[in-house]
Amino acid sequence: MSEQTILYVEDNEYNRKIVRQLLDRTSYRLIEAADGEAGVALAQEKLPNLILMDVQLPKMSGLDATRVLKTDARTSHIPIIVITSFALSGDREKAAEAGASSYLAKPYSPRELLALVRQYLPET
Amino acid sequence: MHSSFENPLSVERQKIELEQLAAVVQSGTPLRKLVHWVAGIRASVHTKLLAGFLVVTLIFIAMAGVSLQTIVSTTRQARLLDEAHEQVSWAQQSEQALARQMHFTDLALLSQDEVAIAKILRENNRFNDMLAKLEAAGITEQSLVEQIRSSQDEAMAVVADIANAIRDGKIGGATGELLHRQQRLDDEISTRVGRLVEAQRSRMTRLRDSVAAANRKSLILTSVFAVTAVVLALLCGFVISWSFILPVREAQTFLDQVAAGNFGGRISVPNRDELGVLADRMNHMSEELQRFDTEQRRAAAELGRLNDQLAQTSKAKSEFLANMSHELRTPMNAILGFTEMLLDGLYGDVPAALKEPLTDIQVNGRHLLRLINDVLDLSKIEAGRMELALGEYSVREVVDIVQVSLRSLAAEKGLEFATSVPDDLPVAYGDNRRLTQCLMNLAGNAIKFTKQGRVEIGVELAGNELIYRVSDTGMGIPKDELENVFAEFRQIDATITREFGGTGLGLSITKRFVEMHDGRIWVESEIGKGCTFFFAVPLRTKHEGI
Repeated sequence: MSEQTILYVEDNEYNRKIVRQLLDRTSYRLIEAADGEAGVALAQEKLPNLILMDVQLPKMSGLDATRVLKTDARTSHIPIIVITSFALSGDREKAAEAGASSYLAKPYSPRELLALVRQYLPET
Repeated sequence: MHSSFENPLSVERQKIELEQLAAVVQSGTPLRKLVHWVAGIRASVHTKLLAGFLVVTLIFIAMAGVSLQTIVSTTRQARLLDEAHEQVSWAQQSEQALARQMHFTDLALLSQDEVAIAKILRENNRFNDMLAKLEAAGITEQSLVEQIRSSQDEAMAVVADIANAIRDGKIGGATGELLHRQQRLDDEISTRVGRLVEAQRSRMTRLRDSVAAANRKSLILTSVFAVTAVVLALLCGFVISWSFILPVREAQTFLDQVAAGNFGGRISVPNRDELGVLADRMNHMSEELQRFDTEQRRAAAELGRLNDQLAQTSKAKSEFLANMSHELRTPMNAILGFTEMLLDGLYGDVPAALKEPLTDIQVNGRHLLRLINDVLDLSKIEAGRMELALGEYSVREVVDIVQVSLRSLAAEKGLEFATSVPDDLPVAYGDNRRLTQCLMNLAGNAIKFTKQGRVEIGVELAGNELIYRVSDTGMGIPKDELENVFAEFRQIDATITREFGGTGLGLSITKRFVEMHDGRIWVESEIGKGCTFFFAVPLRTKHEGI
């Protein structure tokens, strides 16, 4: 059985490190991108099984990146969990409109994040 | 002519007539000149009206004078006519007397009777009387009268001869001669008296003709004068009234423009009376209005500019808040995330001595996060940037979320923590996340400030209002502090903040959220027995905004 790949698009190194270390002990393989454009490119290239997408990203916002991936026939089936800073009201609605499968507010508990990931992508 | 006696139902028609009249007055050059001339007279309206009435009165007095004169002259003519008539009558009577005299003379000659002679004398006397009356009346035919009189004298001489002849009895022989003489004289006198009568009659006819002509003339004169007087009076009234109506109409047009918001127009009237003064005032008013209008527009523009500036500033502030929110939460995410993973043993077993400081980091980190959230929420509310996300929600779910979140905290303190929600509550409409936040704040506070006893969350439906209730058995709030509990950064004293933590913003934010739902919040408390916080929101919130 092939490895299950998760793409995490996040510009903050420490947050990427949390997820990297969190998933280190699981069977998931993590690939990372630090901005929206790179995230889209990597998703189209690697076609991961799940995408964790931060909203506030350089170059292209997480919501725009989500929209691009959802309109691309190759990537439209990939579930995307949008992570926001919980700042502006209506973020949840915006995420749903862009096509996100789920929504997680920052700061998130690593435990909760892992539970959500497992919900969408059961570990093999 | 336009008059006030018209049918009130024809007001519309009257109005149109007035318009036509106005057009005539403004276009007809001589009339217009006259009206403008009157308007331009430097006298008060009062004086002009008095003068106008005086002119009209004088015209009518003059007319009365003319009529009186006509009456006097007519009376005089009638008297003259009467006199002439009398003279004609006298002439006729003298003619009749003469005829009778002649008749008696003939009779005397035939009957030779002295009685006839006496009758002749009587008729002669009557004839002379009439002649004397005519003479006294001053008739012009004096020479004719003289001739008649001399003939009459001759005739009377004949009569005397006849009388003598009768007395002497010689009448028979003299009859022929006397008759002849008598005949000649009779013809002569008859002709002359006939001429006199004719003269008097023709005089009377002339006089009658002249009286008729004079009467006709005075009638025409009076009529012409009357018509002229009426026309003059009407003209006077017309000109004076239009000298007032024109400026009033101008003022009407001008005021209509002012009412329509066109300031700065000018009114120009020829009047140099009160109406002229009024027009000057209106012009002054117009200038002032325009000045105010311009100033007001400038102020409005300035306000608009400031408003735009404010909106921009507010937007900048809002963007700053959103950015700050992100910037503050990102490191918080790392701090809390790493702490949790450490405590979860992701990096290997945690030495017992490190467990407590790690937990302290976590507790304080979470507290810092709550502070950040509260400050950002409040800032957003105050910037007017907080919007409710309205939707249908279940009251039970809201209460359950709060209960589940705070259950362990209550259990740690050994508090009884109960909820009571009726089973038959209908689906509510509002921002469930914010309402959950409100209930969480109240219940969190209750647990925080209660050392022993119980904390209860209750909900009930009263009419169209949902009343959420959180009661505790804590220390309670003094009466004089009750109204301050919802103000920002308020806690009974600073030691409480140190002892219990908390941002002091929770109640203030709760109040704002409740008010955004068109609801109200209040508290009942008794020192030492605890307190109960209530907030009531519509079962179905209609609109957003404070």
